[in-house]
Amino acid sequence: MKNWMGICVGALTLMLLAGCDGKPDAMQPVVLNPERTELYAASCKTCHEDPVTGAPQTHDTTAWEPRLAKGEDKLLDNIVNGFNGMPPLGQCIECTAEDFLTLTHFMAAPSIASLQEENEEKESQ
Amino acid sequence: MLSRRRLLQYAASASALAATGAIPAAISDAFAAEEGAKRVIPWKNWSGAQSCTPALRVAPSGEAELAEIVSKGATPIRAVGAGHSFSGLVPTEGTLLSLDRMSGLVSTDKAGGKATFKAGTRLGATGSLLAENGLALDNMPDINKQTIAGAISTATHGTGSGIGSLSTFIDGMRLMTASGEAVDIDATKNPELFQAARVSLGALGIVTETTLKARPLYKLKKRTWTAPVEEMLEQAPELWSKHRNFEFYYIPYSGMTIGIINDLTDEPETPEPVNEDDDGLRQLQQLQDWLGWSPATRRWVIQKILGGMEPETRVDYSHKTLSTERNVRFNEMEYHLPREAGTEALREVIETIEMNDVEVFFPIEFRTVAPDDIWLSPFYKRESCSIAVHRYHEEDYTPYFSLIEPIFRKHEGRPHWGKLNTLKAADFASLYPKWQDFLEVREGLDPEGRFLNPYLRDVFGVEA
Repeated sequence: MKNWMGICVGALTLMLLAGCDGKPDAMQPVVLNPERTELYAASCKTCHEDPVTGAPQTHDTTAWEPRLAKGEDKLLDNIVNGFNGMPPLGQCIECTAEDFLTLTHFMAAPSIASLQEENEEKESQ
Repeated sequence: MLSRRRLLQYAASASALAATGAIPAAISDAFAAEEGAKRVIPWKNWSGAQSCTPALRVAPSGEAELAEIVSKGATPIRAVGAGHSFSGLVPTEGTLLSLDRMSGLVSTDKAGGKATFKAGTRLGATGSLLAENGLALDNMPDINKQTIAGAISTATHGTGSGIGSLSTFIDGMRLMTASGEAVDIDATKNPELFQAARVSLGALGIVTETTLKARPLYKLKKRTWTAPVEEMLEQAPELWSKHRNFEFYYIPYSGMTIGIINDLTDEPETPEPVNEDDDGLRQLQQLQDWLGWSPATRRWVIQKILGGMEPETRVDYSHKTLSTERNVRFNEMEYHLPREAGTEALREVIETIEMNDVEVFFPIEFRTVAPDDIWLSPFYKRESCSIAVHRYHEEDYTPYFSLIEPIFRKHEGRPHWGKLNTLKAADFASLYPKWQDFLEVREGLDPEGRFLNPYLRDVFGVEA
């Protein structure tokens, strides 16, 4: 937990643009804490960073938009029961409901890098 | 009540959103997430057919933590692996244990031809970890999502008439027993336990590390072709004798098969092809839906499609050619039969499906596995062939599997430990010459049955 807080403090400037491990809204990047970063790397990343799997890719906001529109209850149902190619629980055995929702919002949101690029573009105009 | 952690998160979200002017909506969403997050969620296996709501779900990061859990945690204590077992090995109302935090390569011994992994390492990860060290496993199963512990505990296997299951690759292992004591096991330190623990269904304890035999990194030339089923069945004994890895799939209601062989090569790698297996399955499902009423038309269409397929060749490192990405979920029953009974049994399976108009589109898989001397290995002292039937995960598998299982049993088949079957303790006792020996070792290590869930009590004939 100390690490998580440390990262949040360190990322304070980014937080002006990004939420930290919470669920601000679909257009705000989400910063995962170290525990959830591990969960993401061990489970979600396998498919959500491999286009061959057909899964909506991490930070592809267009692909995630219709999924988020289903609402959190439906999203959680789909995660628990599996949906299309995704196995139940997305293969994350230890994830809690809170973890699942946060990880989903992390994947559905734009990346910090993309938001930074966008801002730089705006500044240069 | 909101935890301090959650409040911090909401505060961070609010800070973030201050710039957007969307604070009220965001805070509202965040609290909605908290409500959703209160849901108690069950565990389900990959196919969704097995489920449970354990009192405790834990993922220890090391042996000290694990020792506390196995000696004091709510029982039954079951390790889940990757949830790829179709049988009832995992469900528990007690402690569900994940080894996801106990994974990774520990060490390699290139000269000695072995590598030690933490037991929660996924099979799919072993390929690149070993390749970086110039090593590779002798074989891989078709699916590589399983953990090493889960795969060896159920005698998971690939294909190859001269290659054993993954359990035969074990050179040594470390087992956390019910008392919380870790035991090192190999052929010399604990020879009897070595025979029992290499395939143990998670009933002797929790495997924490395994040292696997490995060989210098090697490439395989994979060839895929189609052939009429009778031609494939006639050629099968020659194909499994001549080639390192041979398997084939029968497409139901088609009279056609797809054969796959892998042989050692030094040829340069070829580009990785697009995996079309999932699309192929969806097409077969559509054909079943559209033409299920007319088997002759369905057969004609599938034959036309397969007849137009050119043989394919691919060269790559073994861990890339032997496993396949499977994204269409299913339930599965697989039996391991005496090798000589294999082709005859498959003929009976095909005839039974097509005579009874069984609604199925999943191909039937035929593989071969070498014998071993592990007490609960389905390949115990028997050259085997494996026949697997699959049913789409949204469909009821019982009518189909109950028609096919008697054929497997008639040929003295032993079921894959991680796959569906209806056998009971007495059946297993008659199929496994070392059954009683295993039961005695289990009783000695875990007299209270801390690792036994209802399914395993049924399998071993141990009352609650």
